Amino acid sequence: MTYAYLFKYIIIGDTGVGKSCLLLQFTDKRFQPVHDLTIGVEFGARMVNIDGKQIKLQIWDTAGQESFRSITRSYYRGAAGALLVYDITRRETFNHLTSWLEDARQHSSSNMVIMLIGNKSDLESRRDVKREEGEAFAREHGLIFMETSAKTACNVEEAFINTAKEIYRKIQQGLFDVHNEANGIKIGPQQSISTPVGSSTSQRNSRDIGSNSGCC
Amino acid sequence: MSYKDGIETPVITEAAPILEDGNCEPAKNSDSVDQSAKPESKSEPIPSTRKRPEAKPSSDLETSEVLPVEETVSKDVPQTGWGYWGSWGKSLLSSASATVATVGQGISNVIEKAETSLGIPSPSEISTEVKCAAGETNAKESENSSPIAGPFGVFSTISTAVQSTGKSVITGGLDALEFIGKKTMDVIAEGDPGFKRTKDLMNRNATLSQVLREAKEKEELWTSSEITMETDKKTHYGLLFDEFQGLSHLEALEMLSRESEIKVKSILNSLSGEELETLKLELEELKEAFSLGELCEEEEEEKEGDEDFTKEITELFSQLHVSSKPEKLARARNTAYEWIRTSLTKPLAEKGGGEEQLEAENTEQANKNSIEDIHAFAIRSLAEMTACSIELFHKTAALVLHGRKQEVTAIERSRTLSQMTVVLCKELSSLSKKFTSCLTTEGVKEKADVLNPLITAVFLEASNSASYIQDAFQLLLPVLEISLIENKTESPRHELQGEKPLSEH
Repeated sequence: MTYAYLFKYIIIGDTGVGKSCLLLQFTDKRFQPVHDLTIGVEFGARMVNIDGKQIKLQIWDTAGQESFRSITRSYYRGAAGALLVYDITRRETFNHLTSWLEDARQHSSSNMVIMLIGNKSDLESRRDVKREEGEAFAREHGLIFMETSAKTACNVEEAFINTAKEIYRKIQQGLFDVHNEANGIKIGPQQSISTPVGSSTSQRNSRDIGSNSGCC
Repeated sequence: MSYKDGIETPVITEAAPILEDGNCEPAKNSDSVDQSAKPESKSEPIPSTRKRPEAKPSSDLETSEVLPVEETVSKDVPQTGWGYWGSWGKSLLSSASATVATVGQGISNVIEKAETSLGIPSPSEISTEVKCAAGETNAKESENSSPIAGPFGVFSTISTAVQSTGKSVITGGLDALEFIGKKTMDVIAEGDPGFKRTKDLMNRNATLSQVLREAKEKEELWTSSEITMETDKKTHYGLLFDEFQGLSHLEALEMLSRESEIKVKSILNSLSGEELETLKLELEELKEAFSLGELCEEEEEEKEGDEDFTKEITELFSQLHVSSKPEKLARARNTAYEWIRTSLTKPLAEKGGGEEQLEAENTEQANKNSIEDIHAFAIRSLAEMTACSIELFHKTAALVLHGRKQEVTAIERSRTLSQMTVVLCKELSSLSKKFTSCLTTEGVKEKADVLNPLITAVFLEASNSASYIQDAFQLLLPVLEISLIENKTESPRHELQGEKPLSEH
């Protein structure tokens, strides 16, 4: 049960893009086609292993409804990672990304790692946003990108874990002050981590792992 | 059993190191465990009797005031300062009353159990020990004139607590005083946490979720560093509370509360003259609705029926006019009652065979509902109910902030919420009573030093739970304040409310 680090994540994006489904798939490994609308924020947590280190992800799944927007902004603070989700079958959810991104950047730490997720990749026949468009948007704004399916579980693990890897890499590089909780990172109990050593040669760039792996 | 060796040990011997703790910084960092292990080792084998987690004693009072931001503390320094956390002390006091309600209402045998488990020393013992302790810490206290400086300070603070609690005791009366007396002993006996609690009244600089998080981390640390049985984890209130997402909801609620508070302040700053005065009066009225004391006067008879709580809480929720429903809470609560019911029928059947051996093997008994099981389930239920209650408060806050049109005024909502807080606390207390009588029934053959700590632990966690709920309730005040302001000032000052128009993005 013990962990080296705890990362706070937020999941953001328009209503109905599958944020809660992604979380459920990640924490419970199941899919629930019909979900209640999220009120404010819901939570999930799971342990992952990065580089042999146990890391606890504490995930804040925010309400996507426009009317909750001013409330959910309050929750952004202190997040180390964000999953910004759109629905590949609904272009307007893609069009709103800029405003979500603005919000995220404005209300959280500048070091926050953002993973752009095009969800519902199982609905290829109804695709409305090309994969390349997602990739281009991610490149332009310095995000990691993946297409996922909360329904088939495709790339869901990877999306959460690659975000954690990137955060971990930033910690190793000394970009994150792990002692400042405003960065959304906490050192686990019993750890007495001295200041992280600068990046070593063994570190891979986790961006490579992202978009081209998996089934989508 | 680890409970055996720990709980009865005592009492005053701990007072001296602890009092010192108050004055010189105790070693709290994880890397200095060795140092702190000594004074704490006595209480460690009793994870189940952990007191309400306390705010980190961020070095001594003076230092923390001069240097509010300490790097080693690595926690956000609450931006809101003292005023905001004024509720903390208040709710500590009312927590005492919640506990009082639990015990005062009866089951004298349980009280006796609890009493003996507290290891109350004779008055003469106390006075000698106290003198001793005072002598040891004398040099340090001499410069510190605060009421918590010496051992007698603990007494005087507690007696103040009695006075202020008196007004808001839920079911009140002499029983309350009786139990406060026991609590006082408890404070002395357990020294450390009680003392820090008292200190908290003076030094409120941590948010509730921080306090809880630290407690949980301590437990995590404890469970990971010690070789403990898997079952031991089941009795860690803090870990369980976190598992039920209580901590997260609390943190989220704090965020909403803090933002609302900032908004309220900026609105108040932007107003002047009559407008300001009117608003201030209204906010004052709202604040009054948040004092639990008033509501507690209307004493209700104890609820026995199972349906009543669910009905009552559902009814209260509908009065709030938020779309959240307390189903989860009701479910958690009903599960607990169901468990108690089945567990109470069982021992009757089993008693016949085991009687003679009980004495000998009371700890290893593989009985399905051993007292350890009951205790574990009790702690779990309390943690779950508390987490659910806090989730409800958080959801309520979100929905109140979200709501455009309001069918009910903020004041009406506040009153309902305050009633709800009372109902929840009462429920926790009656639940803990059920669990402890369950323990007394089942553990009738157990040795006192095995059974009593478990009973004490259940009462303590119930009392802590009630405090958490009351603290969480206070977090709703700024939320209701902003709601009141928004409702009142429809169009003219809309832009001042800090809420950006939805179309903006």
